[in-house]
Amino acid sequence: MVKLVDTLLLGSSARASRFESEWRHGIFYSKRLLGHLIFMIFSTLEHILTHISFSVVSIVISTHLITLLVNEILGFHDLSKNGMIISFFCITGLLITRWILSGHLPFSDLYESLIFLSWGFSIFHIVFCFKKHKNDLSAIIAPSVIFTQGFATSGVLTEIHQSAILVPALQSHWLMMHVSMMIFGYAALLCGSLLSVGILVITFGEVIQILGKSNNLYFLNESFSFVEIQYMNRNERNNVLQKTFFSSSRNYYRSQFIQQLDRWSYRIISLGFLFLTIGILSGAVWANEAWGSYWNWDPKETWAFITWTIFAIYLHTRKNTKFESVNSSIAASLGFLIIWICYLGINLLGIGLHSYGSFTSN
Amino acid sequence: MKTLSPLNSSNPCLLKTHFLKVPIFNPIFKFKPLPHNTHHARIAKVPSFTMNSKLKSSQDINNTGKKSVSQKIVLSETSPPPLAVDKDGINGGSGSESVPVSSKKKGGVSGLAKKLSKKVLQILSNLSLAIGEMFTIAALMALGTVIEQGEAPDFYFKNYPEDHPVLGFFTWRWVLTLGFDHMFTSPVFIGMLALLGASLMACTYTTQIPLVKVSRRWAFLHSAEAIRKQEFSDTLTRASIEDVGTLLMGAGYEVFLKGPCLYAFQGLAGRLAPIGVHISLLLIMVGGTLSAAGSFKGSVTVPQGLNFVVGDVLGPTGFLSTPTEAFNTEIHVNRFYMDYFESGEVSQFHTDLSLLDMDGKEVMRKTISVNDPLRYGGITIYQTDWSISALQILKDNEGPYNLAMAPLQINGDKKLFGTFLPVGDINSPDVKGISMLARDLQSIVLYDKEGKFAGVRRPNSKLPINIDGSEIVILDAIGSSGLDLKTDPGVPTVYAGFGALMLTTCISYLSHSQIWAIQDGTSVIIGGKTNRAKMEFPEEMNRLLDKVPEIVESSSSQQVDTITSG
Repeated sequence: MVKLVDTLLLGSSARASRFESEWRHGIFYSKRLLGHLIFMIFSTLEHILTHISFSVVSIVISTHLITLLVNEILGFHDLSKNGMIISFFCITGLLITRWILSGHLPFSDLYESLIFLSWGFSIFHIVFCFKKHKNDLSAIIAPSVIFTQGFATSGVLTEIHQSAILVPALQSHWLMMHVSMMIFGYAALLCGSLLSVGILVITFGEVIQILGKSNNLYFLNESFSFVEIQYMNRNERNNVLQKTFFSSSRNYYRSQFIQQLDRWSYRIISLGFLFLTIGILSGAVWANEAWGSYWNWDPKETWAFITWTIFAIYLHTRKNTKFESVNSSIAASLGFLIIWICYLGINLLGIGLHSYGSFTSN
Repeated sequence: MKTLSPLNSSNPCLLKTHFLKVPIFNPIFKFKPLPHNTHHARIAKVPSFTMNSKLKSSQDINNTGKKSVSQKIVLSETSPPPLAVDKDGINGGSGSESVPVSSKKKGGVSGLAKKLSKKVLQILSNLSLAIGEMFTIAALMALGTVIEQGEAPDFYFKNYPEDHPVLGFFTWRWVLTLGFDHMFTSPVFIGMLALLGASLMACTYTTQIPLVKVSRRWAFLHSAEAIRKQEFSDTLTRASIEDVGTLLMGAGYEVFLKGPCLYAFQGLAGRLAPIGVHISLLLIMVGGTLSAAGSFKGSVTVPQGLNFVVGDVLGPTGFLSTPTEAFNTEIHVNRFYMDYFESGEVSQFHTDLSLLDMDGKEVMRKTISVNDPLRYGGITIYQTDWSISALQILKDNEGPYNLAMAPLQINGDKKLFGTFLPVGDINSPDVKGISMLARDLQSIVLYDKEGKFAGVRRPNSKLPINIDGSEIVILDAIGSSGLDLKTDPGVPTVYAGFGALMLTTCISYLSHSQIWAIQDGTSVIIGGKTNRAKMEFPEEMNRLLDKVPEIVESSSSQQVDTITSG
């Protein structure tokens, strides 16, 4: 009897344990299923967001181009502004989705840092757009071009890039600060240097055009007024305008425009310089914690320092107020090239300690 | 700095008496007595000070409102003397600011030396020179990344040959004589850096420190045309200057009111912060020099279970390096292990270290990993690398044998280690055996005599495998830890410089705005300028001025009617 109970009990407990193990198996599988489901939802979300932001930005850019040419369609400006805001939210959503999916901040390789760069551009554009309180061409030209570049590169790179794991050297809290500061710095500096390139294009394009026309005194006078106008302050300018005789007020508006571009460029580049400084220094401190030395003359570090030096030259050429806008624009345009070398060129070569973001690895 | 408010006790808020901690030259007020000045180390100036104090007192006597305009002009044209900030806060030194240049008391050699140093100082603090230096340094650094660094001379003979030189003229002679193969320690580069440092010091001394005094010196503008000439100017037809002052104070400006004139400013720190930037750059340079000349470096790969002595591993980097007591410490690697991701890749590697002093007593024990170093006695130990040192096996239940593992060369940063267990006659020329390969400490792949794949074993499973008649049990894979050791006396200085640089760069983003105003009858004429935020300044001023209440002449007493807009 006892034996029967025993065997029954044993049997039932065996069955119970079997049932339990099966149940546990079931839970385990359904957990995995759930995990898979969540993963799929998030990755499709990411997919959708990328495509939405890409298409919105393309639309916005084309409307900007049309406004440039046509110049009269008012409704477009609101459309472009809202378009920018939508794409900003899309990119934010994209970044957050990648963060949740991969478990680490989206900084580990080139694709993710490019997405972050476009996010940085959209932030700057929105901040400065809202500060202006009125539509201004300058706030429209530069970010459109930049957005084209940012998104074209990231779209060309991969369709949807699988998020990779972080190597041991990147598992640190400094990652967040260093990379985000550097990328914000690059974004701001790129915006500012594009504005300076615009200044150079307008200045020299106009001068070449005028000088190319004829040696007529009239044209010389006009070229004098155009070029000299930028270097006068407001009241002197009023006097000159009252005194000189020129037919088109185009020059006046153009020089005002250049002055605005110049001042915006200065402000944005100062901000970018600040971020770049903090980024480089936090990178140095991180290197000291991880590898034992805060400066290794690694190619990426060296080029970041070169970028810093060029923009320090930019800030110093503005001290000499006689030719401040032209000289500093030259420095800033050089800086534009150097940033792209620093950011992408080094990764293309794939050398040095910063080879995480290179095309040739993996 | 005292302010003279108009005798309008209804506006007590305009009395800001304690603004500047160090009072600067004030054209209006009484002169300070002589004795406070004698502990300024400007010996040559003391006799001239007595002359000057008399000058000042006569100025005081003749002082009227109109005169201060011409005084203002005089002030801003003479170059201010170098720093003379006193602990008592007496502005003695600045009192000699309009000193006649009669400091040539010493004669002969020292006078010549002074002239020479002045000339050198002037040349060094030239801005174009500094820009040229920065540009050269940038170009040299770029060159340093293009040319391969640290290779043997053969490399440069091959790549920069003399028969067809790069860019038409660049041969290996250029590279080796100018030291471009070790660019970042070459005399050319270091010389340029030293020159930049000298320029920084000269510039800070001659241009920027006086800037402190000039920018903190303020003066009222007393004529309406002067105000209208400012970058931004406006006229309010029916307003009172006190309202303007109050509004400016509410917006965060420091306001000074004297009679009908007003002066306000904001963001002075933004003008002074660049000085801090230059000083922190100098600090970083000093710290860097200290690091380069006085530190110790070394790296070692230690198999698990073995020891090494710190002093054997570290080597000096420069002439200031002196070893410390801590160099006698012996370090014992207790255990080396790695963490893996689910996909099998390495996620982190750890080493458990014990530090033993000369008597064998354990003074410290810590497990380090990448990004988490060990610090003891000024020495820092970093986890930078790893490898596999040996495989411990049992062959046919004999053993354990330790087979040393060697690294095999493949591309990229994936590692591969292998070892070989000979089977049969060891002394025959083409001995065959069992090969074992490992990518990490997790699993070992075994191949038989012919090189065919035999199986995979994990070291902790202790499962035997039968290959070619022998039974192999893999007991353990012994890893070795790659450690980097370092002492660096310059690090505190450099970190201080970093922190200061970050802070001062942030502050120098602020814009220094100055506003002048004058009450002309019932209207107020306002003008202002700013040095950085030129775009936002007019808008901000317009917003502010919109808030100034308009005075309506409803009663005889100056009652402000509340027609505030906005």
